Amino acid sequence: MDSKTAPSPGFGLGLRPEHYGEFLGQPQPVDWLEIISENYMVPGGKPLAMLDRVRADYPVVMHGVSLSIGSAEPLDHDYLRDLKVLAGRVEPLWISDHLCWTGINAHNTHDLLPLPYDAPALDCVVDNIGRVQDFLGRRILIENPSSYVTFRSSDRSEWDFLAEMAERADCLLLLDVNNIYVSARNHGFDPQDYLAGLPADRIQQIHLAGHSDMGDYVIDTHDADVCDAVWDLYGDAVRMFGPVATMIERDDHIPPLPDVIAELDRARALAAQVLEPVHG
Amino acid sequence: MAEALRDMQARFLAGVIANDAAAEALIVDDNRVGAAKRLAIYRNNYRSSLTGVLADHYERLHAYVGDEQFDNLAEAYVDAHPSHTRNLRYYGEKFAAFLAQHYPDDGELAELAALDWALRHAFDAADTAPLDAAAVGELGDAWIERRLTLHPSATLLPVRHNVAALWSSLDADEEPPEVEALPDAATLLIWRDGTQSRFRSLMADEAAALALLADGASFTDLSAALIEAEGEAAAMEALAAWLGRWLADELLVLAD
Repeated sequence: MDSKTAPSPGFGLGLRPEHYGEFLGQPQPVDWLEIISENYMVPGGKPLAMLDRVRADYPVVMHGVSLSIGSAEPLDHDYLRDLKVLAGRVEPLWISDHLCWTGINAHNTHDLLPLPYDAPALDCVVDNIGRVQDFLGRRILIENPSSYVTFRSSDRSEWDFLAEMAERADCLLLLDVNNIYVSARNHGFDPQDYLAGLPADRIQQIHLAGHSDMGDYVIDTHDADVCDAVWDLYGDAVRMFGPVATMIERDDHIPPLPDVIAELDRARALAAQVLEPVHG
Repeated sequence: MAEALRDMQARFLAGVIANDAAAEALIVDDNRVGAAKRLAIYRNNYRSSLTGVLADHYERLHAYVGDEQFDNLAEAYVDAHPSHTRNLRYYGEKFAAFLAQHYPDDGELAELAALDWALRHAFDAADTAPLDAAAVGELGDAWIERRLTLHPSATLLPVRHNVAALWSSLDADEEPPEVEALPDAATLLIWRDGTQSRFRSLMADEAAALALLADGASFTDLSAALIEAEGEAAAMEALAAWLGRWLADELLVLAD
């Protein structure tokens, strides 16, 4: 039914330097690894040496944070060139970045800044994705961000924006289930509406992560275990979209590898349980 | 239409980076959290990314001055240096110069920072193939006429304080010695050995020799300069000892 996405390679983890030794020391029950592209967009040394060794044993996907496809200015060609060089080295399964902008006028916030969900922003994003895909010679994945503000000029939902963007730009989606939960709490929408509004045939990958609950709002911190509500939502996503490459994203307070693998095993078990009636 | 988005983004950015309250008018206000607090989340993210990467890249300076003072220094740098780099890795490049300018009476701060940064540079500098004994063997006698330079990971860092001792104590989690001004200016060599960043203190004559090589001198040029300075016997003895170590440390590369 689905010709746009590649078959799921299974269950993966974000590769973090804290775990290099364990990945190089012995085979780990992890099907693939995701790297933060920018961490390896350096001239040489240990990061690239470790990456080459890990890549010899695992399929790798590249996840960027600096493409800034939502900035209303020309794309950064030096960045794109370096990204393509890294892709040539890694030969990743796919390359992703976020629905966001990171800065403008030569200033960079190093954060995933929110976009107004309106026609001009959609035009900007669609044009930029098209340029990136032409340059890289492949479809890219765009991830739904966590957000804390709604622009007054927004005239549609994030999921409508994503669906139209994916169709017009002919790109794929990286669905961050935690980000849906975080943004739903921050903006008061129903996560089920969000899932139902997405084009199932374009979802190539899923992120799971933890967040910080501040009571009135939630911040996407990637420094904690996946919470129960996000596990439930992940189950719903698998029920709706079938088997999708899934990984745990941990960026702070990084636990020992066995703990992260245990969390990944929970994702495996949950997906298997949800899909069992369909395939059994 | 694109101009409107661009203007909007410039205004939002000013709200994040420069605390400009006009950005609040762009976003929906609400009773639960409120526009100001929502915008402040992005402001905090911005500042904590930048101060966080400074703490990561200036680990020994951080240990030396402590959390509170390091936060003050990092916040001041963030105020003075909005990020213009695409990759956070390079944000802290001017921190040592900033400290030298603002804390001229505490020169060890800038020097410790420069040492941290040079070690970080060595960590992920380019993998240019070094000259080793085998490569020299292949080049034959002609190699002494070839212009040399230092490996891209190498830095020659002039210092006026005992920052090498400070750094090593801090790295070992020990109480650092009292800061001291050195009687004579000294030079630290920072480089990468395999995948490990390292440094060592140089005697003045070895520092001068490596500075010549960094500028593209050949081994013949260096020999002539050293014989001129120290006489033939001393020069030959020093060169033999240095060359073995430089090759073993993978410190030299062909300049062209």
